[in-house]
Amino acid sequence: MTPEFILLALVVVTALAFDFTNGFHDTANAMATSIATKALSPKAAVTLSATLNLVGAFLSVEVAVTVTNAVIRIQNPDGTPKPELLANGGHELLLILMAGLAGAIIWNILTWLWGLPSSSSHALFGGLVGATIASLGWGGVVWIGTGGQLNGVIGKVVLPALISPAVAMIVAFVGTRFVFAITIGVTQRYQEAGFRWGQIGTASLLSLAHGTNDAQKTMGVITLALIASGDWTSTTEIPLWVKFACALAIASGTYIGGWRIIRTMGKGLVEVLSPQGMAAESASAAVILTSSQLGFALSTTHVCTGSILGSGLGRKGATVRWGVAAKMGLAWMVTLPLAAVVGAGMWWIGHLIGASGGALAVFGLMCVFALYVWWHSRRDPINHHNVNDDWCDEVAPAEDPATDKVSIAGGVH
Amino acid sequence: MDQVWAALDATWRILLVGLLFGAGLPAIFALGIRSLAWGTGGEAEIHDTDEPVKPHLGGRVIAYTLFALVIATVVAGVGYIVAHGLGLTVTFNGLLPVFAPKH
Repeated sequence: MTPEFILLALVVVTALAFDFTNGFHDTANAMATSIATKALSPKAAVTLSATLNLVGAFLSVEVAVTVTNAVIRIQNPDGTPKPELLANGGHELLLILMAGLAGAIIWNILTWLWGLPSSSSHALFGGLVGATIASLGWGGVVWIGTGGQLNGVIGKVVLPALISPAVAMIVAFVGTRFVFAITIGVTQRYQEAGFRWGQIGTASLLSLAHGTNDAQKTMGVITLALIASGDWTSTTEIPLWVKFACALAIASGTYIGGWRIIRTMGKGLVEVLSPQGMAAESASAAVILTSSQLGFALSTTHVCTGSILGSGLGRKGATVRWGVAAKMGLAWMVTLPLAAVVGAGMWWIGHLIGASGGALAVFGLMCVFALYVWWHSRRDPINHHNVNDDWCDEVAPAEDPATDKVSIAGGVH
Repeated sequence: MDQVWAALDATWRILLVGLLFGAGLPAIFALGIRSLAWGTGGEAEIHDTDEPVKPHLGGRVIAYTLFALVIATVVAGVGYIVAHGLGLTVTFNGLLPVFAPKH
């Protein structure tokens, strides 16, 4: 095995690992409210969502190989890698991808431990931005688009993150108000039963949309790596095995279920009743599909969280836990910079060790970290058995997430 | 500043369409539930007397018409996702969606 091949293989495996984390991080987006209102049993919910993600991933025939162009300059506008990064079997470019993906994975795992929904695409962009700054300097990053074309860190990450949760919140608020106003006089038991069906429909729609959107980001990254190493040439087609591997990775991630995050979104933020759940999911689906039609990049996570908050505000008498919402908001703000710091650090480690040993070190560090977090999570497990337990507000308000990992997840002590 | 204006320009469109479908659809579904409760009578409706409320056939007809409308919209949403995945763009010619290849 040549060092170039080892590096390429590590990038591919890491990208699939990222896709897997993307899956379990986002199960909550589509399914949290359906699980909380018992429209679906936890197991049925993740199975349905995983299946639809799988179908959705296969539907993405036209994959954008240009995914990194939104925030960094390692590709030409047509998707081919910049020639100056291609020496030595594409080493420079592959190392940026490797470090960026590692940064994104580490941030995803950490926020999972804390039970905080944060955007996987922002984590990926953050990791790539950090690795690029370390490698090519500040000029390697697209900070802002030109003119009215939304692009760069500002146009594709910062502005959508500010706008999309607010829009989703308003839509879900209005929808929830309507729903409760219209169904006054109908017994609650009857309402619950009816709206559960509505919830299942809208949750399925969201899962399908997620599969088509998110799996193809990883497909694009892997194809870019293959082009850089000279194993693939087309920028409009992707290898079939890449599609299969990515579809399976995101679906199995979804099936594993990020129970900690599902719990926070379904039980922690607001107490959700079926009518609210349906209003929230319809709002999310409408906002996501409209934005995708307009080419407005947004994070599913931000939209779904905004919708759930809006549905809580829309029902009179519902508790909205602003403390939990504030923690999420904080996590969103730091997602890009922190993933960038980790990505940059990973790039330096890989660069200083050099050759394939550097990439192996990055990969090893990432695995050790993932195992540590997993071991840590065993102290306070959240799974399909206890995901719906009543939310107990933390004894002490969490000042520093680093010292308060366990209680943020709102688990049973 | 241009970026902010471009984002705000997208925002009001998303908000408008989002309200139309995202809030309108659950509202129609809720109307369906309401009609169904009226159509079922009995235990589905809150009433003061012990005497059960009479079921109305019309309520059920209205209810299932409304549910069909909601399902049709959701199916259209699925069609939209599928079309996008297959590399088609969807434009709206009046009310009917038109599928056309991208580029």
